[in-house]
Amino acid sequence: MSARLPHRSARARRALIALALAFIGFFLVLPLVAVFAEALAKGLATYGTALVEPDAVSAIKLTLLVAAISVPLNVVFGLCAAWAVAKFDFRGKSVLVTLIDLPFSVSPVVAGLVYVLLFGAQGWFGPWLVDHGVRIIFAVPGIVLATILVTFPFVARELIPLMQEQGRADEEAALALGATGFKTFLRVTLPNIRWGLLYGVLLCNARAMGEFGAVSVVSGHLRGLTNTMPLHVEILYNEYNFVAAFAVASLLALLALVTLVLKTSLEWKFGYGRGSAK
Amino acid sequence: MISLHNISKSFGAFAALHDIDLTVRDGEFLALLGPSGSGKTTLLRIIAGLAFPDEGHVRFNGEDVTDLPVAERKVGFVFQQYALFKHMTVLDNIGFGLSVRRRAQRPAKSKIRARARELLDLVQLDGLGDRYPAQLSGGQQQRVALARALAVEPQLLLLDEPFGALDAKVRKELRRWLRQLHEQMRLTSIFVTHDQEEALELADRVVVLNRGVIEQIGTPEEVYMAPRSGFVSGFVGDCNSLPVTVRGNRAQFDGITIDVPVERSFDGPARLDFRPHDVAPSERDVGLPLQVSGVYRRGGSWRVEGSVNGSGPLAEIDLDADHAPPQIGSRLAFTITRARVFPIEERAR
Repeated sequence: MSARLPHRSARARRALIALALAFIGFFLVLPLVAVFAEALAKGLATYGTALVEPDAVSAIKLTLLVAAISVPLNVVFGLCAAWAVAKFDFRGKSVLVTLIDLPFSVSPVVAGLVYVLLFGAQGWFGPWLVDHGVRIIFAVPGIVLATILVTFPFVARELIPLMQEQGRADEEAALALGATGFKTFLRVTLPNIRWGLLYGVLLCNARAMGEFGAVSVVSGHLRGLTNTMPLHVEILYNEYNFVAAFAVASLLALLALVTLVLKTSLEWKFGYGRGSAK
Repeated sequence: MISLHNISKSFGAFAALHDIDLTVRDGEFLALLGPSGSGKTTLLRIIAGLAFPDEGHVRFNGEDVTDLPVAERKVGFVFQQYALFKHMTVLDNIGFGLSVRRRAQRPAKSKIRARARELLDLVQLDGLGDRYPAQLSGGQQQRVALARALAVEPQLLLLDEPFGALDAKVRKELRRWLRQLHEQMRLTSIFVTHDQEEALELADRVVVLNRGVIEQIGTPEEVYMAPRSGFVSGFVGDCNSLPVTVRGNRAQFDGITIDVPVERSFDGPARLDFRPHDVAPSERDVGLPLQVSGVYRRGGSWRVEGSVNGSGPLAEIDLDADHAPPQIGSRLAFTITRARVFPIEERAR
């Protein structure tokens, strides 16, 4: 195809590609290289020490915990929402679809503030919570709540178009053959959507681990207690502890790279994203 | 025996079915025929238990099953696009119905596989059991869908546009084969189609639906030769229509009296329907003149298209192909040997 392009448009194409590469290089590759270069600036030993330091370990643990809670909940919610939207007709369906997208369009800071407003000491449920000795804001539950709110469109958004495209015929066929609703889900629906689901989970996980804004508002930044990895990075950086900051940041960058590789291999292997999801 | 009583169903403001009564005899091969939007698929889904009527009852052998979901009706359903499970092999697809049974009624895995193989033989696909649906042709997928539906030994087989997605030759083969299978397995079968030829060729009885109402129920012969309404006459088989005026049991078109008996006694504007083969060539000045605008061969006869009486409505008539075809632009004359007349109101309905 390219051979048949006129000379001038071939030059234009090269120019465009060069521009795109320069852009990506400057905005993506350079920072990524900088993260690793800075993290390893004082050698592997210092890098290692920064990662096993107790506060860093606790930040990593908390991040994993938050992801371990919010991602499965997200999967359950995403499946329910997509199922409802794709397989049933009901009033207010389009409103529901719009609402699901809300966390994408709202600033994460607002998402965090909402929970402070609800559960903070001065918030609506604050006094009741204080009386009963339950801490949500400036504690782990608040971080989990904020993360769930920010991430909840991911799985649903992947599944809704996929399930809508697949229609109801497969499920109806299974039911007509005598399968119960649960078996139909397990043996027909789930295999049909598995790659889309995995894709959604990957993106959701990356966001859950990397979320800064919403978590920052509700966390309170208590070292070793309510700091997730992104928050920990910020604190270290503000303390001019660059090597440690970039060391932890490099883990997040690695997460991003691994996610990217998995996502691309999913797309490549199953043609997902081009409409077919076998 | 399946019977439907006063079935009505609406989707919002759209009345999909209105007051349907229908009895299907055991062993019968029944066609639900109609244009898209006539309610035929909705009716099939109500019989299956995939949709539920707003009013009316469905009975299987006298037992009221109106509220029973599809899983409990013991019907085999073949979907329009087959709805084969893409991630399962052909054998797993066929065995699915048996493998999801409750543990007490579920046959052993080896038995399920053996049964699936039997069915695969029955639908003449032996050897393809380990393939995936995407590796099969349309006709093969159709057969797998059928085998899968038959695996649970249904009393009733329901097929939604079973040949819709297939090319003409495969379609014809599969039709014949399905008819054989129906006899061989002593099934009661109901299929939905918009193709009148398919319905006439395959079915014992044809139910013609239009806008949610049954227009006629009858054998293919009855529906074709004695259509009860203008809709049936126009929809089933090729048909020419002439606007006529009826007076005293005689039909008049453009001042020409058409010499066919009018059975119903009414006077006024009407529509006269006749089939292309229900004509005979005649002498000039006798019968209806036809200005020929096209001729092509259709099997053993010439299909001649032209406008009646020069500028009148278009009509198609069949002439014996033993004679030379008429020239385009020439005029010929024909008489109608058999026709039906419908009062004009029927058309507006």
